[in-house]
Amino acid sequence: MSKRRTQACETLLRRARTIVDAEGTGEAALAKIKDLLVRLANRGEALFPRGAFAMPVAQGRNHVLALEGGDGMGLYLTIGLPGKEAAPHDHGIWCVNAAISGHEVHKFYRRTDDAARDGYATVEAVGEVMVAPGQGMAMGDHAIHATEVLGDVPAIGLALYGYALARFPSVVWFHSEFTSVRAMPSRRAA
Amino acid sequence: MAFQVTIGNTGATIACSGDQRILHAAVGAGVDYPYGCATGNCAACISELRAGEVSMLPYSDNALSEVQRTEGKILACRAQPLSDVEVIWLGRGRK
Repeated sequence: MSKRRTQACETLLRRARTIVDAEGTGEAALAKIKDLLVRLANRGEALFPRGAFAMPVAQGRNHVLALEGGDGMGLYLTIGLPGKEAAPHDHGIWCVNAAISGHEVHKFYRRTDDAARDGYATVEAVGEVMVAPGQGMAMGDHAIHATEVLGDVPAIGLALYGYALARFPSVVWFHSEFTSVRAMPSRRAA
Repeated sequence: MAFQVTIGNTGATIACSGDQRILHAAVGAGVDYPYGCATGNCAACISELRAGEVSMLPYSDNALSEVQRTEGKILACRAQPLSDVEVIWLGRGRK
């Protein structure tokens, strides 16, 4: 990885850490982090040239850009090819996204059942954000979102998570068509 | 066009149209097929294609590798039948 890119990514992590330590991970704090990430993504090809990151073999791939020590934040470059999607899910930890190129829609949901029945859940859509160049999105711990790459070009962007992907507490998936919920086990002990 | 999908774990044979995903047809038919994301990201529904052909909707590299694909593995949540097929799920299923 180029020295300039490494420095820029590590600077982003340090600035995000300063915000989190001072303000927590509420809406206002995550909005500030989103602005930082959008500014980094806006440097585009100059800092994140297409040739430096392998495209997916299938349709979706993440590249590690920078990781905090001590079970901290993870910054990634994400690539999704047209049609790549993720059902509504709660990955337990806050995240912020910003686009370098392409369009990815993030739809947000709210769980509407009382979680009393094992494996059963209902959700309803409560909003959406289009992540496209110059724009980003932020979501707090336990927010539920779904994603889909729209258009006919890859969606390439930056994603900052409160934990590194491999250290997610768990991921809980919701399926309206099955009125179901499925929790994937944590990999934190791995 | 509807195809027959035989699920080796249970012996059930279900109908699945060419524009339907095998997982969705199975769950709709009452089969307790293991799944997590159901959108090609988690690999909970990884299966072996024992007979027939499928096409695959978009999925993540880390859910199914190129090697696994050449070995005949599929993600049931992304697989649409192109013929009658037989599959067997490889995951542990729901606890």
